[in-house]
Amino acid sequence: MQVDLDKEFALPGSASQGWKFLQDIKGVASCMPGAEITEVIDANNYKGSVKAKVGPATMAFAGTIVIQSLDADKRELHLIGKGQDSKGTSSATMDLTAWVVKDGDKSVLHGKAAVIVTGKAASLGGRMMVQVADQILNQFGKNFINNIAAMGEDTAAEAAREELATQPKELNGFGFAWSVFLGWLKSLFGGDKKAP
Amino acid sequence: MTEVADKQTREDALQGMGCSRKRVEDARFIQGKGNYTDDVKMPGMLFADMVRSPYAHARIISINKEKALALPGVHAVLTAEDLKPLNLHWMPTLAGDVQAVLADEKVHFQYQEVAVVIADDRYIAADAIDLVEVEYEELPVLIDPFKAMEPEAPILREDLVGKMTGAHSERKHDNHIFNWQVGEKDATDRVFEQAEVTVSQDMYYHRVHPCPLETCGCVASFDKVNGHLTLYITSQAPHVVRTVVSMLSGLPESKVRVISPDIGGGFGNKVGIYPGYVTAIVASIVLGVPVKWVEDRMENISTTAFARDYHMTGEIAADKDGRIKALRVNVLADHGAFDACADPSKFPAGLLHICTGSYDIPVAHVNVDGVYTNKAPGGVAYRCSFRVTEAVYVIERTMDVLAQKLGIDKAEIRRRNFIRNDQFPYQTCLGWEIDSGDYHNALEKVLTAVDYDGLRREQEEKRARGELMGIGLVTFTEIVGAGPSRNCDILGVGMFDSAEIRIHPTGSIMARMGTITQGQGHQTTYAQIIATELGIPASEIAIQEGDTDTAPYGLGTYGSRSTPVGGAATAVAARKIKAKAQKIAAHLLEVSEDDLEWEIDRFKVKGAPGQEKTMKEIAWAAYNNVPEGMEPGLEAVDYYDPPNFTYPYGVYLCVIDIDKDTGETDIRRFYALDDCGTRINPMIIDGQIHGGLNEGFAVAMGQEMPFDEQGNLMGNTLMDYFVPTFVETPKWETDYLVTPSPHHPLGAKGVAESPHVGSIPCFTSAVVDAFSHLGVTHMNMPHTAPKLWKKVQELGV
Repeated sequence: MQVDLDKEFALPGSASQGWKFLQDIKGVASCMPGAEITEVIDANNYKGSVKAKVGPATMAFAGTIVIQSLDADKRELHLIGKGQDSKGTSSATMDLTAWVVKDGDKSVLHGKAAVIVTGKAASLGGRMMVQVADQILNQFGKNFINNIAAMGEDTAAEAAREELATQPKELNGFGFAWSVFLGWLKSLFGGDKKAP
Repeated sequence: MTEVADKQTREDALQGMGCSRKRVEDARFIQGKGNYTDDVKMPGMLFADMVRSPYAHARIISINKEKALALPGVHAVLTAEDLKPLNLHWMPTLAGDVQAVLADEKVHFQYQEVAVVIADDRYIAADAIDLVEVEYEELPVLIDPFKAMEPEAPILREDLVGKMTGAHSERKHDNHIFNWQVGEKDATDRVFEQAEVTVSQDMYYHRVHPCPLETCGCVASFDKVNGHLTLYITSQAPHVVRTVVSMLSGLPESKVRVISPDIGGGFGNKVGIYPGYVTAIVASIVLGVPVKWVEDRMENISTTAFARDYHMTGEIAADKDGRIKALRVNVLADHGAFDACADPSKFPAGLLHICTGSYDIPVAHVNVDGVYTNKAPGGVAYRCSFRVTEAVYVIERTMDVLAQKLGIDKAEIRRRNFIRNDQFPYQTCLGWEIDSGDYHNALEKVLTAVDYDGLRREQEEKRARGELMGIGLVTFTEIVGAGPSRNCDILGVGMFDSAEIRIHPTGSIMARMGTITQGQGHQTTYAQIIATELGIPASEIAIQEGDTDTAPYGLGTYGSRSTPVGGAATAVAARKIKAKAQKIAAHLLEVSEDDLEWEIDRFKVKGAPGQEKTMKEIAWAAYNNVPEGMEPGLEAVDYYDPPNFTYPYGVYLCVIDIDKDTGETDIRRFYALDDCGTRINPMIIDGQIHGGLNEGFAVAMGQEMPFDEQGNLMGNTLMDYFVPTFVETPKWETDYLVTPSPHHPLGAKGVAESPHVGSIPCFTSAVVDAFSHLGVTHMNMPHTAPKLWKKVQELGV
């Protein structure tokens, strides 16, 4: 199944700070809960993994990230990530475009992604997929913002650095499931009246 | 005791035909003492589990079994490469196609079998399948059957490229399976061109799964010493399985024993041969130990035999009074990745050409194209006789559309077009001979019972208040009891069935049939037939089925064929015994055979009270005092090749209320009148009708197998797949008429599938009727609350 995501995060730093961090693929990957770059093949090709624990099931996706383009003029990154669950029962691809837009002396990170999931994860998790993806991205956004904030020297930067250091290294099972559930509950009452 | 009372006592003691004898099967089932395939445990038995594809369409780059083989307790990991030397990596299907046993270079549907792991227990096997590393290269996926024959469509079956002659016809495209036509196209088209009124309705009969309580499974046990294979299997056709296993394995059929133990529901799901069976057999032959394979629920819904998936267009040409002049049916059939439909060989769309229904239609034409898509194979008759469900759906829906267009009530339009009683046996324009029926009386009986006019008045009032109430009506005719061997065979074997009856010296009976019960209660009802025919109490008659080493060859139980074919064989075999018994009685009473008459349980000398011999006395004599020249014993076998199908029919009416605010439905009344000819056990008939209505309710109101664009099956657990319990199930009211089949020895027609076949279009008819005053002519199933709610919003009710 395909999930299309479109998100914006207001960054506490300048557009150039945002763009600088966006080019650091290892840094960006570390913002994704449970994700890490395991091998840098060259400037445009990486190997990585994502581990998620939801309820009793642990899913570990391993795959490749290929940078399609880095456009300094537009401050835009385009990458395609492909991964397969180590048990071979599911796979996912993500086509992501992210760009940083100047907003006064601050900036905004825009992200547009098409995520295609196949296999067991789609069959079993299809119902919750949009909420799960949404929660993952929210956590990603929070980490990204902290990374930008941490570039500064003030107390806010200090707090951001601390928060980054203590963030969970993988998707937190119960807490995550709870936030997904809350997200779903909100969507029921949240004025989104589209029929399922 | 008076003579009348004496006769009644003797009659009651038999518990023969027409009596609501309690099911003898239930004692073991309600005590948890049934013996199912998964209950079979053998010394040294290993377990098989499947590595399955996460992709709907992909090339297999490599399979690495090393880590799995290194796991303690794993005995083997088999792939297509391992089966190739045995030529078992592909197998023939019942529909004249081939099917991959284990994916050969490519996977064609999600959850396809890629490798099989054999291990000490099922837990180790399940762990080991996670360790088999398969590298795939994804390929473009074909899910929409309407795109299958487009020039740029991805080609699914590389093994068939360039082979433009299929099993049933020429192929127009590499993804085309067959084109099948029946009826007179030109004559039908001409009537349509000149007709006063025509209607056309597109409808999708969605993909569903029979989802029996017990999933598919087997235990294969090969004895290396004497070369015997014993296969315990959840099969609706054990003898056919024996023939197929012999053909595939090269083992003589005499060295293959197939046992279908208790079966937890079949509904068509247990007709086919699945990769799990083949791999368990291969593993047992290679390893020399028993191997068990049993599916889990997800595997069952995802891979073993779906049903339906017909995109249909029904068209009727009529005069302005609603009298039908011609019928056209066009179908695009989605068969999935391999054509594994279970139909009689000659009919790639089964018995779809019964689609003229209960109506006197002068001319018709049916056109079906089957195509491949990246979905699991199957196409079985889910509680139905070979696509009869689809046939009834298309004609009944189109009848409603015609009624609506002409502004004629849906009961009246049926009345005007019914085959009249004086027209039976009736030759349909598509080649069937409908044996008997009483359609007008059945319809009037139902309309009176529910106060149809009152319901219509109530509907008017509710509509005036802006409420949604619908009345569904279906008057269906089925075709069951496949079938006459002149037009029905499976893999070349004629679709007869068989019974073997032995009367022991003390008068009790052992009988064996080629059919196999899966909930129908054969052990109860076959005994009732024999009890009435031979005058031995049913309680002294043991019925055995499902062991091919002992039962006579038969084609099995599906398509409501047990009573029409197996029941007939039982009656005929009993009559052969009775004829011999009459000779023995004449000998014992020293009279001529012609001087004897049969009464309940004995032969009596006409006009000589007291001069009589009971069947028990005759049985004893059969072993010690037979007429000179007669061989001793009292037994008979019959292989019954039916002269025709049987045609049960029914009239169903459904009243439904739809909540505008939630889309929830309340089926407040469902009245089902069935005429299955002679009734053998009214209680079992009622049970069968309740079960069939439940499954019809499930299909119409909730069951579906949706696929996304990537070919993921979005609902293969019972969390998504609707299996109604008695909490959701409406209350059923049943009724009946009896119009015996003139060609069946007992006049019986079969009943188990009628309620499924007939109820599904009735639910749709009711749902659409609730919206019909707003111009709605059809809505596709399943009629779930979200879909109905959306319709309400769309129409602004």
